[in-house]
Amino acid sequence: MRRFSWFNATSLTLGFAFLYLPMVILVIYSFNASKLVTVWAGFSTKWYGELLQNEDFLDAAWVTIRVAFFSSVLATVLGTMAATVLVRAGRFMGRGLFSGMIYAPLVMPEVITGLSLLLLFIGIGLDRGVFTIVLAHTTFAMCYVSVVVSSRLVSFDKSLEEAALDLGCTPFQAFRLVTLPIIAPAVISGWLLAFTLSLDDLVIASFTTGPSATTLPIKIFSAVRLGVSPEINALSTIMISVVTVGVITASILSKRSAVAQQRDEQAATQATG
Amino acid sequence: MNQKVFAPWDDPNQKPLIQFQNVTKKFGTFTAIDDLSLDIYEREFFALLGPSGCGKTTMMRMLAGFETPTSGTIRLSGQDLGQTAPNKRAVNMMFQSYALFPHLSVWENIAFGLKRESTDKDAIAARVEEMLRLTRLGKFAKRKPHQISGGQRQRVALARSLAKSPKLLLLDEPLGALDKKLREETQFELMDIQEKTGTTFVIVTHDQEEAMTVASRVAVMDEGRLVQVATPADIYEAPNSVYVADFIGDVNIIEGNATPNGDRVRIDWAEGQPEIWGTAQKPVASGERISFAIRPEKVTISKEKPEDRRNLLEGEVIDIAYLGNISTFHVKVGNGQIIKAQSANTRRLANRDITWEDRVWLTFTETAGVLLEG
Ligand SMILES: Nc1ncnc2c1ncn2[C@@H]1O[C@H](COP(=O)(O)OP(=O)(O)OP(=O)(O)O)[C@@H](O)[C@H]1O
Ligand SMILES: [Mg+2]
Repeated sequence: MRRFSWFNATSLTLGFAFLYLPMVILVIYSFNASKLVTVWAGFSTKWYGELLQNEDFLDAAWVTIRVAFFSSVLATVLGTMAATVLVRAGRFMGRGLFSGMIYAPLVMPEVITGLSLLLLFIGIGLDRGVFTIVLAHTTFAMCYVSVVVSSRLVSFDKSLEEAALDLGCTPFQAFRLVTLPIIAPAVISGWLLAFTLSLDDLVIASFTTGPSATTLPIKIFSAVRLGVSPEINALSTIMISVVTVGVITASILSKRSAVAQQRDEQAATQATG
Repeated sequence: MNQKVFAPWDDPNQKPLIQFQNVTKKFGTFTAIDDLSLDIYEREFFALLGPSGCGKTTMMRMLAGFETPTSGTIRLSGQDLGQTAPNKRAVNMMFQSYALFPHLSVWENIAFGLKRESTDKDAIAARVEEMLRLTRLGKFAKRKPHQISGGQRQRVALARSLAKSPKLLLLDEPLGALDKKLREETQFELMDIQEKTGTTFVIVTHDQEEAMTVASRVAVMDEGRLVQVATPADIYEAPNSVYVADFIGDVNIIEGNATPNGDRVRIDWAEGQPEIWGTAQKPVASGERISFAIRPEKVTISKEKPEDRRNLLEGEVIDIAYLGNISTFHVKVGNGQIIKAQSANTRRLANRDITWEDRVWLTFTETAGVLLEG
């Protein structure tokens, strides 16, 4: 019995409890029949029903989804382009600087990103609303996409693109017909990551939004200041599910592409062996 | 019938298809191709031979357009290729690593190049079928590259590069992963294709037998330079250096001091050993240090001492390599040097009378070997 000991079991339980107990409580109370959040009064799904009647929340959900969709698509396109250039361009002057500049926003405090974007939007006189949140989310999500995609591109066999050129493709066709299909799993998992990041962002969205657009996280945050309601619990539960599904799908996709990659590499070594 | 020998390189009126003019390629400070000039003619089957890392693939990549020369020019049909993009060159390349598209089936891999220039579905399908038949891949058309064997992958790569019937086809070790029989068949297939289509082939190979079989001319390279460019027969029979003689086939190298005597040259090569007589291709200075190269199959071995022969060496058999059709005897002569002699096993048990530790006599004619500098 080497694998199981009381010490291991206890630390495992404690660790996971620490991570997930708050969320479990939230999910449980979202099915509470009572209006009082902390008093259990039996199982009920009525708060989910009420949520669907709440225009405010539905509007916010619609804004959030639109923002997440457009910003993640934009971030995927830009992030993939950035990754391709950085991995492919070989050594050029200032390459280190460029890649550093792409990854820097990853570690930049969100408050600063949000504030600087706000100043920019005010500076160029852009009306704040859905559009500005989309721009802001694209900015920070694109770094994540670029990290995911470039880690795949690093191990991409460049001779495949050369073969495509050799067979008469223009460089763009070679990218579209050969590179993109092969790195597609990484691009999709980058997109999913961008989507979920946008869904749950509060700080940057609050900085860059205007009166016309309220996203769900903003809505929840302001509602909670007036007291936690079971409706909020229900809403949060739904968001947890969406994010969980997104993250799991992204990780499955990238794992699958890693497996496929390994298989291709094996094929390549067999070829020369 | 007066059939002309195919030798455009001897004809001053012929225009070369490919011209390398003082091409140098450097990677950083490393010189991969060193001031190389070379003409390759239309309809040639040109083989590049040389040890690993001597720059064969680099030459191919410059022809295909993936590397640009650091200096010098490459011309195709007289036109400077210069900055011409790879997709604008009538050149196709079969990659050493195959570079098959992993997300496409065998069929789609072969059709890939055809689809770029034509939208005629039937014509493409017909051409792909033809290629599949040629490379015997019909059964695997629907599979992905990772679902077929290494040799099959190699054939897909070959079919894909052949499909567009390019003016110039570059083959980087095209047959390395095939078994001997399939390789020989494919070699003849390639020669057949070449005959039919008039495509010019440049082929890289590590297999000198293959180069001998398929090539109209062979270039032996060393560290980015051409050591000798000649027909396979010339490379074999008249190598221009010890390097080439040693690289192509088996050879005995005997070093000694030369003394010219008419059109013959006497070589004193070891104290107390009878001198060797060879034939000079070029004038040799008296006392010059030279190497005498002789192929094992040109050395005759016998147990009885032949009468009245020059070039007669006595020695002891120390090893016998039986290769089925021939046997190679390793004979230690007086000064300790090992000389290899080959004899064909025409009759069963023919040479069984010569065995280990036998005293034997080695002879060869005065024209059998070549004299090389150094
Ligand atoms: N992109 C590169 N950067 C730096 N050095 C390179 C590059 N490509 C090739 N070389 C070097 O140039 C030399 C010639 O390489 P090349 O690939 O032409 O060899 P090769 O003759 O094809 O060898 P092999 O028979 O092993 O395939 C090698 O020493 C190699 O290390
Ligand atoms: Mg090579």
